[in-house]
Amino acid sequence: MITRSRRNRRAALAAPLALALAAGLMACAGGGGSSEKVTDLTLIAANSPWTEGLKDLATEYEDETGVKVNLEFYGNEQLNDTLKVKLNAQSSDFDIYGYQVQDIMREFSRNGWLADMTDYVESDADWNWDDFQESSRDAVTLDGVVYGVPVMTERHIMYYRADLLEAAGIPVPTTLDELDAAAAKLNDPTNGFYGIAMRGAKVPLVTQFSSFLYSYGGDFQDEDGNATVDTPEAKDAYAFYGKLLKDYGPPGATNMGWPEASAIFAQGNAAFYLDADSQAYTFLDPASSAVVDTVAYGAFPEGPAGSHPYSIVPQTVGINEYSKKKDAAWEFIKWVTNEENSKTLLADDTVPSARDSSWADDAATASFPAGLVEIVRNSEGTVGHDRPQLEKVAQAREIVGAPAISAIEGGDVDSAADKANTDFQDLLDGEK
Amino acid sequence: MTTTSHPSYLAPKRRRGSGLTTWADRHIKWLFTAPAIVFVALLIIFPIAYTVFLSFTDSASSVTRPFSFVGFENYGKWLGDFERFWPAVGRTAYFTITALVIELVLGLAIALLLRKTFRGQSIVRVFILLPLVATPVAVGMMWLLIFEPSIGFANVLMKSLGLPAQLWLSGTDTALNTIVFIDVWQWTPMVILILLAGLSTLPEEPDEAARVDGANAWQRFRHITLPLLMPTLAAAAILRSIDAMKTFDIIYATKGRTGGSNNEAETLNMLAYNESFGNSQYGSAAALLMLFLMFIIIILTALTILRSKGHRA
Amino acid sequence: MTATAQRPTRSPAATARVSPPAPRRRKKRLLGPTLRTIAIVVVVLLFVLPLGWMLMAAFKTNLDIVTPSRTFDFTPTLDNFGTVFGAQDFAPFIVNSVVVGVGATIVALVLGVPAAYGIARYRIRNATAFVLLARVIPGVSLLIPWYFLFSQVQLVGTYTALILTHIFVTMPLVVAIMAGFFEGLPEELEEAAQIDGSSRVGAFVRVVLPLALPGVATSAILAFIFSWNNFLFALVLSNQETRTLPVAISNFTSYASVDWGGLMAASVIITVPVMLVALFAQRYVVAGLTAGATKG
Repeated sequence: MITRSRRNRRAALAAPLALALAAGLMACAGGGGSSEKVTDLTLIAANSPWTEGLKDLATEYEDETGVKVNLEFYGNEQLNDTLKVKLNAQSSDFDIYGYQVQDIMREFSRNGWLADMTDYVESDADWNWDDFQESSRDAVTLDGVVYGVPVMTERHIMYYRADLLEAAGIPVPTTLDELDAAAAKLNDPTNGFYGIAMRGAKVPLVTQFSSFLYSYGGDFQDEDGNATVDTPEAKDAYAFYGKLLKDYGPPGATNMGWPEASAIFAQGNAAFYLDADSQAYTFLDPASSAVVDTVAYGAFPEGPAGSHPYSIVPQTVGINEYSKKKDAAWEFIKWVTNEENSKTLLADDTVPSARDSSWADDAATASFPAGLVEIVRNSEGTVGHDRPQLEKVAQAREIVGAPAISAIEGGDVDSAADKANTDFQDLLDGEK
Repeated sequence: MTTTSHPSYLAPKRRRGSGLTTWADRHIKWLFTAPAIVFVALLIIFPIAYTVFLSFTDSASSVTRPFSFVGFENYGKWLGDFERFWPAVGRTAYFTITALVIELVLGLAIALLLRKTFRGQSIVRVFILLPLVATPVAVGMMWLLIFEPSIGFANVLMKSLGLPAQLWLSGTDTALNTIVFIDVWQWTPMVILILLAGLSTLPEEPDEAARVDGANAWQRFRHITLPLLMPTLAAAAILRSIDAMKTFDIIYATKGRTGGSNNEAETLNMLAYNESFGNSQYGSAAALLMLFLMFIIIILTALTILRSKGHRA
Repeated sequence: MTATAQRPTRSPAATARVSPPAPRRRKKRLLGPTLRTIAIVVVVLLFVLPLGWMLMAAFKTNLDIVTPSRTFDFTPTLDNFGTVFGAQDFAPFIVNSVVVGVGATIVALVLGVPAAYGIARYRIRNATAFVLLARVIPGVSLLIPWYFLFSQVQLVGTYTALILTHIFVTMPLVVAIMAGFFEGLPEELEEAAQIDGSSRVGAFVRVVLPLALPGVATSAILAFIFSWNNFLFALVLSNQETRTLPVAISNFTSYASVDWGGLMAASVIITVPVMLVALFAQRYVVAGLTAGATKG
């Protein structure tokens, strides 16, 4: 089976490579090479399940094409710093980079740091750009220009303790009000047990707050891109998010990102944990989790406006505009994101693919927790962004996160939201 | 020693000999110092000039994007910013002074304690280095977990001692002091090490003489050891104050990019980092960095002046 | 200037004189050492205990690390160390850090010790200030210009770039410590050596350096540690082949998971080479004392 799949891949490779590199390929396989021939590429990215899977694929690619792909992986924040330093200096030291599309695409594309990939993705019908989920394709497109290929997807879900709900006779919450009631009932802080764990630190919480905001009928911005975090819906959403953490959350919630919050749930000290589905594997690993047998997954509960969790592309792969090997870079991206490799990554490394074909394949999704696959397949009502959409995302997150902190600390949410809206609008105006 | 065989009037003649040695001797002042100075200059001139240049522009997003000169606008913006800038100045000053004073006092006490030889001395000295050696990122992560209010060991310890649980790093009011504690834990060893080296070369006679004269331990420390140790102590103080003002790793690892949800641990260096690599506001960040640099230089100059005044007195 | 006024040692011969212990000291010796031993033990524990937590964590699963009830009560596992040397393959990073650390330390000493001597003896205050500027300047303002410079001369990703930038961190440290140290050394020693016919440079090498050995050893240890722990410069100036440990350690944080155990195991391993260097250098901190006494 392995050999067969390899042969298929090689066949898929042959045609485009021959086109792009002409006759050079054969000659170079033996070690020689004209100046045109690309023998190595460098890819930098933040650690993720995708980069784990990439290690094997890069070796395979080198075996098949003779092109060595150097991989440099960093922590999430370290990647951001590295990219900004190198690209400000117009570095051509790397050709391909993985990035968080919502944080980076606007700013980087306007800086001229991301190559236009529109022609590339449409160049090959067999590779099938249309197989990528529409929301994912939208996510990597700005003003009609494609800046990357999505390699991972992520949704907001509700992790809960099936055993505790059952013991207490509580049905799985399907609305935010039910979630509130269930968390209240199970909350037992004197024994160090909490109704709910979620991110409570100002900047990290923004993305997880987004689904609450949408499900209350709000958003960070309206269709014209103006700030809307002072609407009644937004204020209610802030108040609700804050109330959950204030009343049923662990102490010190305002300092919590996902590492702390998920640790509390993993060691069995919280009934609910609402965060990205990409953390599911942590809870299924006995070395990291005391809730392996008792964790269950639920769809994001309905708010007054229905259930509208985010469904986003956390990892995208693009080409450095300063790279001198763009065509070769594209060849690698195209190969590594083709249907077959996307399935392999989903099956072997649990990389949540952005291709519909991957999710349609039961063999590929077999390693994925069953409850999750259902949630992924049913993408109705989801929202394609989980943070404000502008160039200065980092500043905007600080601003729109602040009212949630007021809510968690029991402060005046309304005035905090009003102030946030003014500041956010100023920031948006500055970009016009 | 053969001092007596050479009358001192011979000395100048000898120094004025000939050859390479003489040339080296005559220029020793610059021969010794120039390489270090040139090295620093080579690496620092371009970045400083560049930062100064950027600080007068509105460069943002990318330094390669078009930008315009805005004069002192960036500086004005920061100096008039009472929401983020001045609180950060206050926190930086509070953090630096608190940490520095505790570290110097504690470091001096422990250095004196470890001064005289004892069995296992070298092992103890190496053990004491441990907090310095552990990688800052890992140390940050370690304290983050230890001080986590619900799953950390710190509160388990408090409870077992019958003390109330604390929010530590998570509390708006307690975060900065907790970071001071971590800084003291991590950096006092450096002060100890520097002072031990200084103590090891102090002459013993004055101390012995005073002892014979009946001076008690405090008197001997106050009037003999401390003055002799002053240059070393000053070196430790200067190094630590510079590093404390620039503290970054621990705050970033435990409080995130914004120094906490209420910016409760945001120091100047954190703010500058956030403005630059978080917000990509390179012009404004450059102005902040220049202000920060000037602050440090002013404080160090003040310290140096105070020190030399102290000597003259 | 400095402490000259208070310095009672007028002749170098005086330093060599070893006074017999005064009789009064004997009485105190009964109680003193016990108290002192207790104090030393307490101090050591305070510094070491938090790292005991780290050491235990290195032998725990991620779950045990975040479960307070298993702080002491856990089944040790070697898995984390397997990760460090297996999946993460830390060995090359250790080599990189050693190469850069040793290189940066040696050059910093060669440049810094004479500079400190010049500064201390000729009272070039401005030079100290200038060299210290290297330590004062926030790293954030250096990154982009440096990356630009080093990529112009094709040095990005090389040991050379890393060592050069680490010297920038370590040399001011050496200068600051050694300048303070030289100020504390009696000038009479060198004067005597010069009168004996030695050149100034010769006096520095033969008389001053041996006396300054504790200071040199101390600044060497600290310089090595600062290079070893430098994160910011190595982050942007190294590549996969030359990556140093502090950068590599960020590999334990992934997109949706943190490998606490692997991180702690890596941290424990990282400290070992530095402890060896420190143990080695410490001998000279003590040796310097005796060397100084005999030279006088």
